Amino acid sequence: MNKSIRNSTAAGIALAITMVCASASENMTVVSQSGEGVVNPPLAPLPQMPVPPDNKTTPEKVELGKMLFFDPRLGGDASISCASCHDQAQGWAWSEDFSRGYPGTVHWRNSQTIVNSQYLQKQFWAGSASSGESQARSAARGGVAGNGESDLMEVRMALIPEYKKRFNEVFGDEWPLIKNAWRAISAFERTLIADNTPLDAFLRGDNSALSPEQKRGKKLFEGKANCIECHNGPLATDERYYNIGVPTAARWDEDGLAQITFRFEQYAKGSTEEMYRSIKDDAGFYYRSKNKWDKGKFRTPPLRYIAYTAPYMHNGAFYTLEEVIDFYDRGGIDEEGNTTSFPKNKTDLIKPLKLSDQEKEDLLAFLEAFSGDEIEIEKPELPDYAPLFTKAELLEAEK
Amino acid sequence: MGPKLIKRGRLMIAVSGLGLAIFAAPGLAAEIGPLPQLKTDPIKAELGKRLFFDKRLSGDAAIACASCHMPEHGFSHPDALAPGYPGNKHFRNSPSLINTAHKAIWNHDGRIGTNLNDVTRGMLTETYLMNMDMRIMQERAKQDPVYVRMFKEAGYGEPSNGGVRKAIPEYLKTLTSRGAPFDDDKMSHAAKRGMKLFTGKAGCVSCHNGPNFTDGQAHNTGVPENWEVFLDPMRHQAFLSYALFMGVENIYNLKRDPGAHVQTHKADGSDMGKFMTPGLRELTYTAPYMHNGMINTLAEVVEFYNQGGGQDSHKSELMKPLKLTESEQSDLVEFLQALSGEPLSGKEFVWDQPFPAEYEAIANWRKVRN
Repeated sequence: MNKSIRNSTAAGIALAITMVCASASENMTVVSQSGEGVVNPPLAPLPQMPVPPDNKTTPEKVELGKMLFFDPRLGGDASISCASCHDQAQGWAWSEDFSRGYPGTVHWRNSQTIVNSQYLQKQFWAGSASSGESQARSAARGGVAGNGESDLMEVRMALIPEYKKRFNEVFGDEWPLIKNAWRAISAFERTLIADNTPLDAFLRGDNSALSPEQKRGKKLFEGKANCIECHNGPLATDERYYNIGVPTAARWDEDGLAQITFRFEQYAKGSTEEMYRSIKDDAGFYYRSKNKWDKGKFRTPPLRYIAYTAPYMHNGAFYTLEEVIDFYDRGGIDEEGNTTSFPKNKTDLIKPLKLSDQEKEDLLAFLEAFSGDEIEIEKPELPDYAPLFTKAELLEAEK
Repeated sequence: MGPKLIKRGRLMIAVSGLGLAIFAAPGLAAEIGPLPQLKTDPIKAELGKRLFFDKRLSGDAAIACASCHMPEHGFSHPDALAPGYPGNKHFRNSPSLINTAHKAIWNHDGRIGTNLNDVTRGMLTETYLMNMDMRIMQERAKQDPVYVRMFKEAGYGEPSNGGVRKAIPEYLKTLTSRGAPFDDDKMSHAAKRGMKLFTGKAGCVSCHNGPNFTDGQAHNTGVPENWEVFLDPMRHQAFLSYALFMGVENIYNLKRDPGAHVQTHKADGSDMGKFMTPGLRELTYTAPYMHNGMINTLAEVVEFYNQGGGQDSHKSELMKPLKLTESEQSDLVEFLQALSGEPLSGKEFVWDQPFPAEYEAIANWRKVRN
C-alpha cells in the first residue's frame, strides 16, 4: 500500500507543511519516493516546545508536575508512579520488551520515552491519546498500567497539604482536581527536551558536529535507505501509522502473564469475538480505526534519544540498533525470517535495502547522532499525607 | 458445641401476631427461629470457594475475599476497621459473611439491594477494596488450567466474569449457621432468661428479628464515630472516595459516617448515621462489633443498649435506657452467645490447597484459539 493518505489527518498535514516552511530555506528537501511531487520535511533542529493555550507552562506548575510524575499515590495501590515505567535511568522508558505494568500484570507494549514526547500530536503507539494531558490520565488509570481510579487519586491529593497548597496556587483549586494533576504532569514533561545532539549542532551549521562516517550515514538515511520517508522533520517522525513488518512478540509464546494481558487488551481496545479468539498479534492502529487494513500499523516513532531507549519497536522486538538496521535491510524481516502477522498491510515502502556492511555502520553512526547527553534530574522529595482534622475538631463536631 | 448434624430445633417464638416476613416493616417484627440451610450445587460452590480464597482476584494480586472475611473470625476481620486494598485502608468493620445469602440488602449502609451477584461484582471492582478490572480477572482465570476445568465442570463454560459472579454467591450460600444452642434447643437457663429479655423488656427483637435476627432496615443507634476514619489519611482517603462517588455533599468537611444517607439522600440530613441492622448469629467469632468496630465485647454492646445507645440528634426513638440489672445484662449476653454455632472453618468451607505461584504459558499458543 502507498503511504496512506487515509491515516493522515488535517493536523498532521498542517504540521508537516509548517515544518517544511520553517526549515526549507536552510536544508535540502527530499522528494518522496512514494508520491508524485510530495516532499518529505527534512530533518531539522528541534523547534520551541509547543504549549497548549489552555495549559500554559509556569515554573510552579512544572515543579508540581514533577512531584506528581514521581508520586506513586497516582496509581491503584500507591506502589508505582509515572516514573516507574518511564524511568530516567532507562531512557525515561523501560528497558525490557514490554513495559513492566501494574503489579500482578505485565504490559503488552514497549514503554516509550517521555523525552521530547510532548512535541507529538498524539500519544501512545497507536495514537490513542490526543494530548499529553490525556495520555497521563489514561496511563494512570489503565488496568495494566497505573490501575488508579480518579476519585481515589483525587482525594489522596487533598490529604497531602503541600499538594493542596500547590494546586491552589497553580490552578486556583479549593481542593485538588485530578484533571489538573494531568495538566501539571504534562507541563513537567514539556520540559524534558533533548536538543543538544550532534545532529542539532550540525543542522544549526556546525559542520564538524558529525563525523565523516555520520555524514555518509545521513546521506543513506535520506537517500538509499530512505528512512526519511517516514522519519522526517525535527522529530524524525511523520506521525503516521505504518505496518513495517515487525513480527509478533516471541514472549507471548512462553509467558503466561503476557498471554493474559494480550487477551485482556483485545477486550480493552475492542475487537470482534472471532478476532478475540484467533488473533495472535497486536493489531495496533486497527483498534482505533476498526479498518482491517490498519492491523499491525503503529505510529512512526521519533528517533531522538534512541541511544537510551532500547529495546526498539512497539513490542521491543529488537534490543540493538544493529538489529533494527538489519531488519530494515532485509525488508522488514527479522533474523529468523519472521515478519508481521498482517502481511497484507505491510507497507510497500519497506523493501530490501541492499546495504553493504560499511553502509550499515555509517547508518548506525548517524542514528547515534540523534542522541546527546542523558537527561537526569534530581528526584523531588514527596510530601506526606496529613489528617484534615485534629482530634479536637472532630470531638467538637455536633451530631 | 454439640454433635454435628443435629436436627434443626423447633423453637419458634412468636413475638408478634403478624410478623411472618423476614424483612418486616418496622414494628412488625418477624419470628426468630432457625435458618434454613440453602440448597447449593456442590460443584459450583467448590469453584466459588477456590475463587474466594484466591488473591489473583484483586488488582495487584495481593488480597483475596478471605483477606478481610477470614473463616476463623466468622468470615469477618478482627480489626475494628477492615484492611482494604493495599495503598489505602478501609473505613468500616468487615461484616461476617455467614448467612449473607439470607439477606436481601447488603453493606452496612445498605447500598446494594439486588443480589449477591451484584455484591460480588461491587466488592471485586471497588477501588478501595479489591480494585479488580474484571476483564483482567477473566483472563487470569482462563490462564489457570484448574479454573478451566472447574468452570467447565460447574457448567459455566470457559472462565468468565459472569461465572465468577455466580460461583462466589453459590459458595456463600454454603455459609449458613449450624449447630447453635438456640437452634438445637440446647440453651442454658441463663440464655433462656436472656431470650425472654431479648423479646421482651430489652426490646432487641423490634429490630433484630426473623431467623437471621435482622429486620433488614437501617437505624441510627448513636454508635460513636471511629475517629481513625478521619485521623488516618489511609482510611480517610477510602472514605472520601466513597463519599464522593456516592454523591454526598461537602465531603471535605464531613466529620461523620453518613451511613444509609447514601441511599436516601435526605436534604435535612436526618438519615445520617443510620446503619443496617446486622444479624446476630456467630457473634462469638466476629468481634469487634458495630459498623465501625467501636465496641469490643458483647457485654459492652449490651451495656451500650442499656444506656439507650449513644449520642445523636437523629437517634432512633426506639433507643431508650433499658434499666436492665447486671444479671439481666449477663443473661442477655448468654443468649447472644447461644446464637453462635459450629465454626465454619473446616475443609468444607476453606480452600486449603496452594495456588500456583506463576501463570503457566498456554502451550502452542499461536496455534490454539484464545
